[in-house]
Amino acid sequence: MKLLNNTFDTIRLFARFTKLNLKITLEYKLDRTLTFFAIFCRESVNVLVIYFILKKFISIKGWEMNEMLFLYSFLFLSYSLFVAFFTGIREFDSVIYSGEFDRLLIRPVGLLTQIICARMDHCAFLGHGAVGLILFIKTSTSVGIQWTPTNILYYIVTLVGAAIIQASLFMLSSCFNFWAIRTTNLRNMIFFNSRRFAGYPISFYPALIQNLLIYVTPFAFVSYFPAQYFLRKPELSLFWDGFLYMTPIVGVAMFALVYMLWKNGLKHYSSSGTSMY
Amino acid sequence: MAFIKSENLVKEYKINVKKKGLLGAINSLLIPEYKIKKAVDNISFSIEKGEMVGFIGPNGAGKSTTVKMLTGILVPSSGEISIGGLSPYKNRKAVASKIGVVFGQRTQLWWDLPVIDTFDLLKFIYKIPDKEYKKNLDMFSELLEIHKFMNQPVRQLSLGQRMRADIAASMLHNPEMVFFDEPTIGLDVVAKERIREFIKYINAEKGTTMLFTTHDMQDIEKTCNRMIIIDNGTIIYDGSIHEIKHRFGNYRIVEVEFQKEYKNLSFAGVKLINSDGNRKKFKVDQTLMQVTNLINELTQKYEVQDITIQEPEIEQIIRDIYQGGICLDKNVC
Repeated sequence: MKLLNNTFDTIRLFARFTKLNLKITLEYKLDRTLTFFAIFCRESVNVLVIYFILKKFISIKGWEMNEMLFLYSFLFLSYSLFVAFFTGIREFDSVIYSGEFDRLLIRPVGLLTQIICARMDHCAFLGHGAVGLILFIKTSTSVGIQWTPTNILYYIVTLVGAAIIQASLFMLSSCFNFWAIRTTNLRNMIFFNSRRFAGYPISFYPALIQNLLIYVTPFAFVSYFPAQYFLRKPELSLFWDGFLYMTPIVGVAMFALVYMLWKNGLKHYSSSGTSMY
Repeated sequence: MAFIKSENLVKEYKINVKKKGLLGAINSLLIPEYKIKKAVDNISFSIEKGEMVGFIGPNGAGKSTTVKMLTGILVPSSGEISIGGLSPYKNRKAVASKIGVVFGQRTQLWWDLPVIDTFDLLKFIYKIPDKEYKKNLDMFSELLEIHKFMNQPVRQLSLGQRMRADIAASMLHNPEMVFFDEPTIGLDVVAKERIREFIKYINAEKGTTMLFTTHDMQDIEKTCNRMIIIDNGTIIYDGSIHEIKHRFGNYRIVEVEFQKEYKNLSFAGVKLINSDGNRKKFKVDQTLMQVTNLINELTQKYEVQDITIQEPEIEQIIRDIYQGGICLDKNVC
């Protein structure tokens, strides 16, 4: 009952913050609209490059264009979902640097709850979301998927899991901020390069990269395995079947581990600005 | 029972010792060398409910670090803190609902939104009952005149307005204890005065315990009875403002304008500190000479046109303490 109440409170708090954040976004309509279009164009160009290159071939390793784009849509939609809830984690170094984190610490609400609520990057949410949605609508009906209730449930749960995997990666990097180490560039390099790899079926890559994408930065669970659940390409025999269902488990397990590390790092937080003295 | 108790509080920082030059920078990157700096070194004090305490010290003395530990922002390296019986970092949320914090140099208001939006959000965060919220809002609006700019985005407010709104924001939930970190920094005389009046009023009305860190001695003198002075991470004075004046300000400056110029004026316990023709300035040590006696002697023996007596200002005393002119610990001096 208490847990239920807490969850309810969190949702209401999130709604409050979302309303205020939205109000700010609307204050700067033109600026935010342009940012949205910039993100939309940047991501669309990435897709178009793949599109035009792949058009030269009928298929690669048995993957057709629509199937590739369906796989790609997971990346966009899960990133969009990730940004909707974890912008504060993505921008954690600025949350600390601006002193906002000190403020969160003196409020009688859980830290993670506040970080999730506090910031929201509407432009990235809509930009990635729009590209993802277009790809999804274009491909989901043409790759032969039966949208049964089970499949729809799988899709939603997996998408949430995929967003949590990405949140965990960002949160891992944010832990270092507690020791006053800036890892933003290293993180971006690792994150966005892994993500670029994950835009294609991992069977395209040598074993080393495959293993990296499964065990180290588990982007294979963000795009490849979820897509394979629906597409069932014969190459699936290369991997363990169970991987198809692992996305939410990997997400939750990773997040739990990283959250423990994060909680521990909190003890080393040294505040910002004039905090040294 | 004291509301705040701090026992042997220590905060250490590990500082990476930077070496000079490019080679030095590469060297420190590869073989980092650390130095331990104690920002706060064994601080103990307790504050009773309803007290108003000034917490002062020169820049870098350890004030902010101490306040950050008291409010649960930083975890102490060692030592114990209790706020209303709870440890601020172990029971962060419980303590957070009992306290309010005003950072003069940072705002907790949403920069792009009207003040009232932040207030409404705080009502929700602190779960303030409707009645209480409305009562406080009305009271603060009236005392701080917030209603005049309640619906303006914070970025358009003047510093004085913003500070008033910030103070109101941190007191909406009726905190038992409020920490003020330089609440009047950068404000004009009238705005400062208004904030001091408000703070005093709330303390009297609600019995809120308050702790100030500030560099403005007027803030302290006009609002607090007690003062804690800290330097190099340790407490060098903890007592009443009256006492510090009594102990270290036990002298008067007497300025005398004579009818004509006298030479070789000398009295026991009196030092001539300035002489400008007919005008003389004396420093009178009250343990050796009463000011009244001096005045008697002056008026009887000399032709005096005007006399003014000045009390030493607290600011001067504090300046002397910071610069080492006054030694607080008699065992060391």
